[in-house]
This record gives sequence, structure tokens and C-alpha cells, in this order.
Amino acid sequence: MLPQVLASGLSAGSIYALMALALVITYKTTEVPNFAQGDMAMVSAFIAYMFLTDFETGFIFAFGVALVFAFLLGVGFEGLLLRRMRKPTHLNLIIMTLGFTLALFGFAGWKWGADQRHFPFPISANEVIRFGSVSISTLSVATILIAGILMLLVFVFFRFTKLGVAMQATQQDPIAARINGVPARAVVGLTFGISSVIGTVAALLTAPLITLDPTLMWDALLKGFAAAVLGGLNTPVGAVLGGYLLGVIENLFGAYVSVEFKSVVAFLIIVIVLWFKPSGLFGRHHERKV
Amino acid sequence: MIEPTRDHYQDIRLFTARGSWIKLILLLVVLVSLPLLLPGYRVFTLNYMAVFVIVGLGMNVLVGYTGQVSLGHAGFLAIGAYTMVLLMTRLAVPFPLALVMAGFVSAFFGFLLGLPALRLAGPYLAIATLGFGLAVTQIIAHSALFGGHMGLVVPDATVGPFPLSGDVSKYYVIVGITFVLALGVRNLSVTRVGRAFRAISDSEIAAATMGVDVAYYKTLSFAVSAALTGVAGGLLALMTGFISPGVFTFTLSLMFLAMVVFGGLGSITGAVLGSIVMGYLNLEMDAFQELPVLGPALEGFSERFMSTVGLPNFGWVVTGMLIVFTILIEPRGLYGLWIRALDTTKRSKSTDADLSRSGPGAD
Amino acid sequence: MSFFAVDGLTMRFGGLTALDDVSFEVDRGMIFSIIGPNGSGKSTAFNCISGIYQPTAGKIYFEGEGISGLAPHHIARLGIARTFQNIELFSTETTIDNLMLGRHQHMHSGVWSGVAMLGRATSAAREETENRERVQWIIELLDLVRVRDRPVGELPYGTQKRVELARALAMEPKLLLVDEPSAGMNADERAEVAVRMRELRAELDVTILLIEHHVQLAIGLADRVLALNFGKPIAQGAPEEIRQHPEVIKAYLGDG
Ligand SMILES: Nc1ncnc2c1ncn2[C@@H]1O[C@H](COP(=O)(O)OP(=O)(O)O)[C@@H](O)[C@H]1O
Ligand SMILES: [Mg+2]
Repeated sequence: MLPQVLASGLSAGSIYALMALALVITYKTTEVPNFAQGDMAMVSAFIAYMFLTDFETGFIFAFGVALVFAFLLGVGFEGLLLRRMRKPTHLNLIIMTLGFTLALFGFAGWKWGADQRHFPFPISANEVIRFGSVSISTLSVATILIAGILMLLVFVFFRFTKLGVAMQATQQDPIAARINGVPARAVVGLTFGISSVIGTVAALLTAPLITLDPTLMWDALLKGFAAAVLGGLNTPVGAVLGGYLLGVIENLFGAYVSVEFKSVVAFLIIVIVLWFKPSGLFGRHHERKV
Repeated sequence: MIEPTRDHYQDIRLFTARGSWIKLILLLVVLVSLPLLLPGYRVFTLNYMAVFVIVGLGMNVLVGYTGQVSLGHAGFLAIGAYTMVLLMTRLAVPFPLALVMAGFVSAFFGFLLGLPALRLAGPYLAIATLGFGLAVTQIIAHSALFGGHMGLVVPDATVGPFPLSGDVSKYYVIVGITFVLALGVRNLSVTRVGRAFRAISDSEIAAATMGVDVAYYKTLSFAVSAALTGVAGGLLALMTGFISPGVFTFTLSLMFLAMVVFGGLGSITGAVLGSIVMGYLNLEMDAFQELPVLGPALEGFSERFMSTVGLPNFGWVVTGMLIVFTILIEPRGLYGLWIRALDTTKRSKSTDADLSRSGPGAD
Repeated sequence: MSFFAVDGLTMRFGGLTALDDVSFEVDRGMIFSIIGPNGSGKSTAFNCISGIYQPTAGKIYFEGEGISGLAPHHIARLGIARTFQNIELFSTETTIDNLMLGRHQHMHSGVWSGVAMLGRATSAAREETENRERVQWIIELLDLVRVRDRPVGELPYGTQKRVELARALAMEPKLLLVDEPSAGMNADERAEVAVRMRELRAELDVTILLIEHHVQLAIGLADRVLALNFGKPIAQGAPEEIRQHPEVIKAYLGDG
């Protein structure tokens, strides 16, 4: 039983880890918790759906279009809305992401209706692979692999490419980075684009598992945040670990305590972690200077 | 020296100018006669807007005054509604008492949710409230006690010997309570506790060095805000006659935030106006189609580019855009626009803006 | 036991030692100045005293009681008020409301009595009126009558500094910490600040701990002076001694 639970936990955790990573990389740059992350990904998934069903394109093309759209949506959201605020206080920034998410939610409902739709996907959620006593769907295996590879790519990008390193420098110290010739504004926009793409991959992996409708990413958004809080909102690696941890904890809870209240676990974890270690398990705390 | 006989009560009294009594009486006359003038089905809309106004007052205390974001107020609305209904059905508690209890129980949960707020700033708190709102509906939807997904029917309510049967009798109860609560929140805002709330959003550090126990007041503001929202929940149950978890969604919580942002954070008048507008919008999501010229145009547009079945969702787009543009153009919302308009008219009347040379006797 | 004492105060931020084993004592009724070049740890000392920072090591005593480790609001209630170098006002509130926040700890109305403030005779209304009357003289003393009902965010810098001082005075503190009252001011305004500080000491029963970047002003006002450099105490004593102290002269010459 336990290995089975761990396997499901890992698969769910992959989605949470992706969402957490997407949330954390923008949070690190701008200190904005992007509540629109989920719905940006949801709309992008609908774009893929539109290409697959209305225009009957192939999977690769449809997903490619969705990811490009996601990137532009992220860059646009930052450049056209967040950056143009008159009073970018923390409160106002949060509210802006909320307003945007509501508009996206409404847009999706307006365009595609609130019905639950079957999302075509090249990998089946019903086919099962067996590893000893553990049986796991091909979709779950694919989810674990794709998420793992993508996150690895993101870390390689930030650690080893010239652009990535420059971006990290800007995140840590915008003024110093500007002196070194890194245009801070471009970096912020790029960060939102990348994070939107990561979120969209999570959405494309979620849609075939459940069904596609405008509430697609609500749960994943909350879990992504819970994971990020668990690992530390400032620490990408921590947030990813938090995602896997949350997936496993949640499935353990579902298996041994109660299936109905599985979703409440995320909330409890947020509260408990914040109570005992407000900066997350792997994060550091900063003091304000006066 | 300068104003030896200043009456300091002037600062905090409700009616500063002579005309304000007349305004109040006018407002009361309008409120009392409104349901008699409007067609019956509109009274339901009015009740709905009044319930939103109460939530708006609560959101204003929390978000507007202390600057803490809540994305889970639909949860408090649910707690209030279910508390009242369960007390009435299971324990035969009379409606007025059950409504008061709805406020207290909700306040208690607000206090609990406020506890983590002791240690959490901005993003963390918003995340915790998001989780709270979703958890509440989850629990309700999966518990037999709460009627699960099917929901609960609200029993008939009476106030003393008077049955609250029609929308009109409910109107007087709901609007009466809304009026009293608005007055109470206004009084709170000009006295010690309200001032401490507002200080927290301006500067927590300064507030603390004035002796304000920031953690306590943050929690307290959660409790006050939740109490108001709980009462609103009870009244919502009263007016709709039926409650189910599907009512208390994440988007409703966002709507609650939208109304205080749109109206103007920190202003009671703003919160009331914003809530009236958004309450109407939320109930009449399809009202856009009935607009004279825009309605058909919108329908045509939907048919060509969007979808007609999805048209009711257009309201969410509008709500979201209202938030986005409020924050972009005037972060203080309707109230801020009003203040700006006043300022421009004042400035055109006098050019006395030199404040630095404030010599004695100048006033 | 002296009125106020700091013993071995040390504050580190990561690798940076902002305060290094600082000790001093202040008697009741004194004006005690802390001087030192920019970044020498003066404001950090205030932040430790008022409980905003938790010192890495050292003890702080007020009227014989240890206060290090207490929360800022507890320290405020003991009778310690302060101003901030970079003004921390409630900028959307009016001048009078800022001062009324200074009265917070002397008032008692809670949620219920606040909500029920329905007439002049109710307890919350009476408390409000009384306390507004009480701070009126501070408004007059610091020349704030004309801006009494103005949101302070829109006031000029110098006026904001006065409002902040007024707010601290409204707390009726026993110990007042003033951080750079003359920052950003010209010679005339600085002279005014000096007069005001003397006035306060003469008229109120308050002990003043003063941080001042402008050395002449700081030394001229003080009964006793502490000089810091890079977080280390380099001299302490009567104003005349400090003026001639070689270390102090060196620190300031080095500073530019
Ligand atoms: N919260 C903080 N985090 C990190 N460094 C700080 C903090 N507060 C002060 N410092 C550092 O401590 C040193 C002393 O600062 P401060 O006390 O403000 O100096 P002063 O008031 O004498 O000009 C400076 O180098 C400053 O950068
Ligand atoms: Mg300083």
C-alpha cells in the first residue's frame, strides 16, 4: 500500500512542484505572489484545446502554440499591467493579480463556457504500468518525468547559462545588476514569461487527468502556494521539494485518514508551517530596516 | 491660546454640519419607501445588495483599515449562514438569536484565522485565507451535518410574533440591520480601536512604538470583519431560503475584495457604494444583455467571437477589469475619484496652499 | 541604579557588526546625545532600545528593569517614545489622528464601546474628547494648529518632522528618543530645533536621548555625549571633553 501511495503522491506532487516553482521565481524577482498564475495557465490550456479540437492541429503544434501564448501572456501581464501601476504597494500588487485572474476566469467562461470538457492528450490516463506491486498510469509516469525534466532545465538555465545567471543577479540585487549592464526591466518581464510557461505545463498535465473547465487550476494554485510556503517562498529548490512533500503528505492523509478532506490538508500545512517557521522549511527570514 | 473653546466632540460626531440631519432623514425616507415603489422582484435584488454592503463593511475593516488581504471571506459568509440555519433547524433557536450567534461563531473562526496573521505579512496571509475559504466549502460539501453538496433549506423565520414571509418584510429586517451595522462601523472607525486598525496599514512599526499591540489588533480586525460577514451570511440564508456549498466560492471571495477596492479602500462610503454596484453585478450577471444598445451588440459579439452560453461569465470579466483599472488609474477607487473632484473644485476657489508657514493666530 | 542604562549592547547583521559592546547610563532629566558619522550604529541603538531589533547581546535597563527582549508595544507602555530618522508617520491620517495614536496606551475603549459611541455622554465619546483636549497644547506648542486636520502625508518635510515629535510627546513619555531632528534642515531651522529641545526639557518632565548628525548642535544641547564610530564607542563624557577628544576629531575628519 505504502509504495502505491508514494507513487501517487509523487505524481500529484509533480504538478504542485511546477506551480510552486512558477510562483517562486516571480515572487523572488518582484515580491508579488501571483494569484493569476493558475488562471493564466488555465487559459493557455484552453488555447491548446482550441487548436486541438477547433483547428484539429497535431499535439506538438497545439502545445507549442499554448506555450508561446503563455509566455506572451506572462510578459504582457507584467509589462502592461503590473509595471504601469501608480502605487505599486504590496497590497495593490496582490489585488492587481487578483483582478487579472478574475478577468481571465470570466474570459474563459465567456469563450468556452463552464462545461467540463474532455481534454485530448497523447498519453492515456487509464493505461496502467506495473512496477512490482505498484501500478501507476502512463499519464502519471509522464507527468513525473516531464515535470522533473522541465524543472531540471529551469535550474540549469538559472545556474549555467549567461542569461540565467544575469537574471539571478538581478533578482538578488537590481541596482548592482544594472551597473553590470543587465536591464532589470527586461529580466522582470522574462521572469513572468518563463513562470507562465512553467505553470502552463502544469495545466497541460492536469487537464487530461481531470477535465478542462475554467476552474481547472484553482486547486493547483492553492497547492502550489502551499508547497511554496512549505519550502520557502524565496527558495526555488525548497518550493519544489515542498511540492513533492505536499503531494506525498496529501496522499498519505487520503489513504490513512480521510479521502473527503484530502484538500483541507494543504490549508492545514500552510497554517502549521507558517506558525512554526514563517519563512518556510528551507527559507531565510529578513528584517526590515528603519 | 488660539481656540480656547474648541468643542473636541465636533471631531467625532456623526453630524458636523446642520444639513446632515436632513440628509439622514431623506436617506431613511428613501430606504423605507423603496420597496413600496419598486416592483416586487426588485426587492429581492435590494436585499441581496444590502447583504453585500454588510460584507463590504467587514472587508473594509480588514483590508481597508489594517491592510490585510482576505481571499476567503466567502468562507465566513458560509459559516454565518450554516450556523444560523443549523441553530434554527436543530436546536429551534429563534431567528434573531440565531443571527447573533452566526456573527459570534464567524467571529470566532475569524479570530482563529487571524492567529497565524500574528506572524504573517502580506503574501503569506493572503495564501492562508485562500486555503481557508476553499477548506470551508470542502468541509461543508463533504459533511452530512451540513447537507453536503445538496445544501440545506432555511426554515421560516419570525421576529417575535411577526413572520418574515415575503421579500418586503425581509427587506426591512435586512436593511435595518445593515443601517445599524454601518453606523456601528463608522463609530468604531473614529474611536480608539478603529484608529489602531488604520495605523497598522500605514506603518506597523510606528503603531507598535505607540503601544499598539499589532498582533492583537490584526487578529481583532479579523474577528470584527468575520462577525460582520457572518451576520451577512445569516441574512443571505434568510433571503434566499436555501444554502449550498456551491454559493460560497473562491470567485465570490474575489468579488468581495473587488467591491472594497472599487469603492475605495479605507472609506465606509466607498465600501457601501462599491458593494451596491458589485452586489447588483453579481446577481444580475446577465443584465448586460438587457442594456439598450450595448446589450444586442454584446450578444452579437459573443455569437461571433466568444459563445452565447458563456455570456453570463461576461460579468466576471467586467468585475476583474474594474479591479485592474481601479488599481491602474485610481487605487483609492470611487472614493479617491470623489476626493480628487473635491480637491480640484477647492483649488479653483482658493490658492492658499502654503502650509509650512503656519504662524500662531493664523487659524 | 540609574534611570536608563545600556550594558554591552551588540547588534550584528550577518557579517556586519552595527553595534559593538556599547554601554552608557542616562540620568533622569538629562539630554544625552549620541553622535557619530553615518552608519556608525546610532539608529540601530534606538531600534534596539525600542524593541524593533532584538540585540545580539547586551542588556538594556529602564528604571531598574531589564527591557531588552520586550516587544515594542510593551516598551512603549513603560514610557519610552521615539521618532524615526526616516519619518514613520501614519501618512493617510490627519495630524490630530496621529497624535491620538500617541494617546493609544492611555485610553481604554474597546470594540463594543467604540461601536456604541452614540452621543457625547457615552464612554468612548468622553474619552475621545478628553484626550483630544489633552493634546491640544502640544499642537499649539509645536505650531501645528493650521495643519491639525490635514492628512500628514501631504505636509512639507519639516512639518512632518514636527508632527512626529508631537506624536511622541502625546504619549507623555518619561524617556524620549529623537533620531536626527534637524536632518535636511538649514541653519535657521536647526536653531529652531535647538530651542525646541531645550523648551521641551524645561517644560516637561522628560529625559531626552538625542541622535544628531550635526555635531555642534548635538554637543551644544547635551549634558553628556557618547560618540560612536563603526559601532564602537570611541568616547563618552561631558560636552567639552568630547569636543576636544582626539578620537572624535579623527572620526569626523576621516568622515570628510
Ligand atoms: N535591518 C538591517 N539589516 C542590515 N543592516 C542594517 C540594518 N539596520 C542597520 N543596518 C546597518 O547597520 C549599520 C549602522 O546603521 P545605522 O544604525 O542606521 O547608522 P546611523 O544611524 O549611525 O547612521 C549600517 O551599516 C547599516 O547598513
Ligand atoms: Mg541613523
